[in-house]
Amino acid sequence: MFEILEHPADVGFRAMAPSLPELFEAAAEALVAVVLDPVNIRPARAVTLSAEGDSRESLLVNWLSEVLYWLDGERFAFCGFKVREFDSGRITADAQGERRDPARHEIRLVVKGITYHQLKIENSGRNWICEVYLDV
Amino acid sequence: MSEEFELQPIDEFRFRIPRNEARGMRTDVVVYASRRLIEQIRRDQSLEQAVNVAALPGIVGPSLAMPDIHQGYGFPIGGVAALDWNHGVVSPGGVGFDINCGVRLVRTAVSVDEARPKIRDLVNQVFRDIPCGAGGEGPITLDHPELDRVLAGGAARMVEQGFGEPRDTEFAEERGCLAEADPGKVSVRAKTRGRCQLGTIGSGNHFLEIQYVEKIHHPAAARAMNLEKDQIVVLIHCGSRGLGHQVCTDYLAQMGEAMKKYGIAVPDRQLACVPIHSPEGQSYLAAMRAAANFAWANRQAILHFLRLSFRKIFGSGTQIDLIYDVCHNIAKRESNPLAGGARDVLVHRKGATRGFPAHHPDLPAAYREVGQPVLVPGSMGTASWILAGSEGALRNTFGSVCHGAGRLLSRTAAKKGRNAQEIRKQLESAGIIVRSETRDGILEEIPEAYKDVDEVIEVVHRAGLAYKVARLRPLGVIKG
Repeated sequence: MFEILEHPADVGFRAMAPSLPELFEAAAEALVAVVLDPVNIRPARAVTLSAEGDSRESLLVNWLSEVLYWLDGERFAFCGFKVREFDSGRITADAQGERRDPARHEIRLVVKGITYHQLKIENSGRNWICEVYLDV
Repeated sequence: MSEEFELQPIDEFRFRIPRNEARGMRTDVVVYASRRLIEQIRRDQSLEQAVNVAALPGIVGPSLAMPDIHQGYGFPIGGVAALDWNHGVVSPGGVGFDINCGVRLVRTAVSVDEARPKIRDLVNQVFRDIPCGAGGEGPITLDHPELDRVLAGGAARMVEQGFGEPRDTEFAEERGCLAEADPGKVSVRAKTRGRCQLGTIGSGNHFLEIQYVEKIHHPAAARAMNLEKDQIVVLIHCGSRGLGHQVCTDYLAQMGEAMKKYGIAVPDRQLACVPIHSPEGQSYLAAMRAAANFAWANRQAILHFLRLSFRKIFGSGTQIDLIYDVCHNIAKRESNPLAGGARDVLVHRKGATRGFPAHHPDLPAAYREVGQPVLVPGSMGTASWILAGSEGALRNTFGSVCHGAGRLLSRTAAKKGRNAQEIRKQLESAGIIVRSETRDGILEEIPEAYKDVDEVIEVVHRAGLAYKVARLRPLGVIKG
């Protein structure tokens, strides 16, 4: 679950999930939804994504940077993420999707990068919550 | 909000936040603004970000804020910081994700009266020939060896390959190529992101605008730039696309680790920095220069396709010449009197334009007597400006001036209660044709989302940083 946040120049999102691995999945889904309209994406291909970080925050930034690389560099459209391994310094996930097709996948926004600006990862008691701002 | 800071007026257009060691500041912050602009500036976190920049190790002179300053990440957008070349740091956040985002302005032999009846055809032609590239590939795809030659050679490599005229490179900051770029320091991922994107504008606030010269303010400078009233010019605002974004991402990740090694602590992780002469600092600078060269190559490719578009509409002999090309996201080694004579500094300009005065040795001969053209785009559908650098910038701001109008509303707020069709109609009724590749591109860049560019220019002009040469009005806009 996620929602879009305001920033004077750019855009952000808040994602929520019952566990940290699911939070990272929700954050990846939020990023995909900022970049393109996530309807009509077929699970035609599976890819393995991984990232490392020296803190929970840097792990999240590096994980989302990995997803962004696939969106922009490999022109991949994602329709699902499933975290396979997760610890405080490393994440590995299986992702489903297909090569982006301009005729079917409408681009909403080109995201330049994932920032540390006002980055938050918190546990509210029931849920894990993160807030991430993107440079667009 | 940045309400908490005590802003001491220095004069009519300058305010100081004094150095406060408790906040880690090593120097003052100096903000260039009118009283009205300063109230707008206080509404976001940009002053706090300028204060954080004042904490960077090796900063020389004040942390500077231009009148178009607004909240960014780490550095404010509209921020300038000079770091001692021998003892200072380099910060990828002080350059930003879009390395060498910049502005290129070209003049044409077409008049506004000739253009108006054909403006819709022209906008459609340019929209076809110069894609925004949001969803896919651009008109040029390079293999990795050729991409490396572009990263090393910048705009000149594009001209060698037939994408331009030899004299184009004379009219660009650094002649469109930074020396000591090392393509080997640019990751394969960055190259993969960029190799299909040459000749594309991108999205966000990037655009290509067909404009006319509404008013000449300084006839001698306008003559030096071969500008006349009612002449059609084209302003291109874009950068290094995915390649530059990935270079920033790669090095930000490395620097977070490296800072610990050098014992550097910063108030905001987005300000991650390392000593200029550390291996990490040198690698970043070599990669950043390569990405900057990619951006100049990109704007050169766009100029080439623009020439083709104009010639399809106005005839094969239509003359199109480059006036100048400036970058506004960059870190460059410069020698500056503010740094104490011969002392070299690494000037970080994050949303700020270099503006060197007349007789500066780095200027092309055509502008030696009038100063460097400074190109300042306004918001979509309003005015843009051509200025020329004044002595005051070299004395007070490390040769830097503003880069735009400066954002006022968030993208979400800009979209609220508006629809793209209405905005398009409003602009059309004002004689401005807009084409956009993405759904939200028009809504997010509505004129109300930005400060008044004329007020920003007034501050720069009256503070003696640069002087007004000409005001431009749009006829056609192509947006990402």
